[in-house]
Amino acid sequence: MLYQMYSSKMYGVCLRYSENADDANDILQEGFIKVYKNINKFRSEGSFEGWIRRIFINTSIEHFRKKIKFNNISEIHENTIEDESIDVFNSLSAKDIIKAIDQLSPGYKTVFNMHVIEGYSHKEIADILDITEGTSKSQLARAKGILKKILATSISNSKK
Amino acid sequence: MPTFQDKLYHYEVTPPEEAWDNIADKLYNEEAIELYKHGKPRLLFYGVAAAASIIILFLVSLFFNNPPSGNDHNLSISKDSIIQNKQILNSIINNPEEKKEIVSNNFDLGKTLKKYLTVTGPSGQPVKISPKVATLILYADNEYPPKPIWSDKICKWQEIMLNTTVPPTSANLLDMIMAASKNNIE
Repeated sequence: MLYQMYSSKMYGVCLRYSENADDANDILQEGFIKVYKNINKFRSEGSFEGWIRRIFINTSIEHFRKKIKFNNISEIHENTIEDESIDVFNSLSAKDIIKAIDQLSPGYKTVFNMHVIEGYSHKEIADILDITEGTSKSQLARAKGILKKILATSISNSKK
Repeated sequence: MPTFQDKLYHYEVTPPEEAWDNIADKLYNEEAIELYKHGKPRLLFYGVAAAASIIILFLVSLFFNNPPSGNDHNLSISKDSIIQNKQILNSIINNPEEKKEIVSNNFDLGKTLKKYLTVTGPSGQPVKISPKVATLILYADNEYPPKPIWSDKICKWQEIMLNTTVPPTSANLLDMIMAASKNNIE
């Protein structure tokens, strides 16, 4: 059964994009209804899981579109923000990383998920979210910076 | 060691048990609404088509079960019309002035009763004819010799009709004209 096969994976996607479990449940339901209603539109051009995943990502974005507010960052500022490395996350469990990501604002979280986890390019993100590529890049850089700070705080707290 | 991207990409959490129930409920309800939305116009279409078919069948059956002639009602009308025709014909015959008026095309439009005569057809059906023909009917009885003016008119009409390409039928009287012309030749 389709639901049994993909519900856990897609619920993971929903949790990554949403602010709480209730929102994730709503997105899960909405997403699976779309999948069942549009299953005849799947053209075997890519993987079926990839197709389903895109539906859930788009549903999440639609769900939070009103909430997502991208900070107005000037082009000069965008170019000066360094894309910080967050490879230190590799040593953490998925649950801990999710906890850290949850502290990001919806705008940062969406861009971070789309670019770092799903692998969308900044051009694709800009088209989907109706923003400029520069905004997408700056949002990502800021998200990474915030995550690094969150991580540093949590490490220092654990040491205490 | 997997990267954090891989960990998050494949991150799986079992959704709450009621999630599927809600999805199934919504899918069932939406499917029912879709069926209703699509079903309603179809039902209306089939209903209109059925009603139209019934009306057409009713009209067709009405037409074939009630031919224009052949029932008792029409026969009774035809009997009445025969009596009426006889009365009218008698009035024309017994009134030479009126006969003269009819033959010379000077009939009085105010006398509506005499504008048309209803005679009985071969199948008993009532047939409306011009009162001018009444004179010809009288002459057909051989009691009154035909006037030369009428003989000329009929001869001309026969010639015209015989020269047409219309096939002879009882409706256009050509069959009678053909038969009469053959008799004249013999």
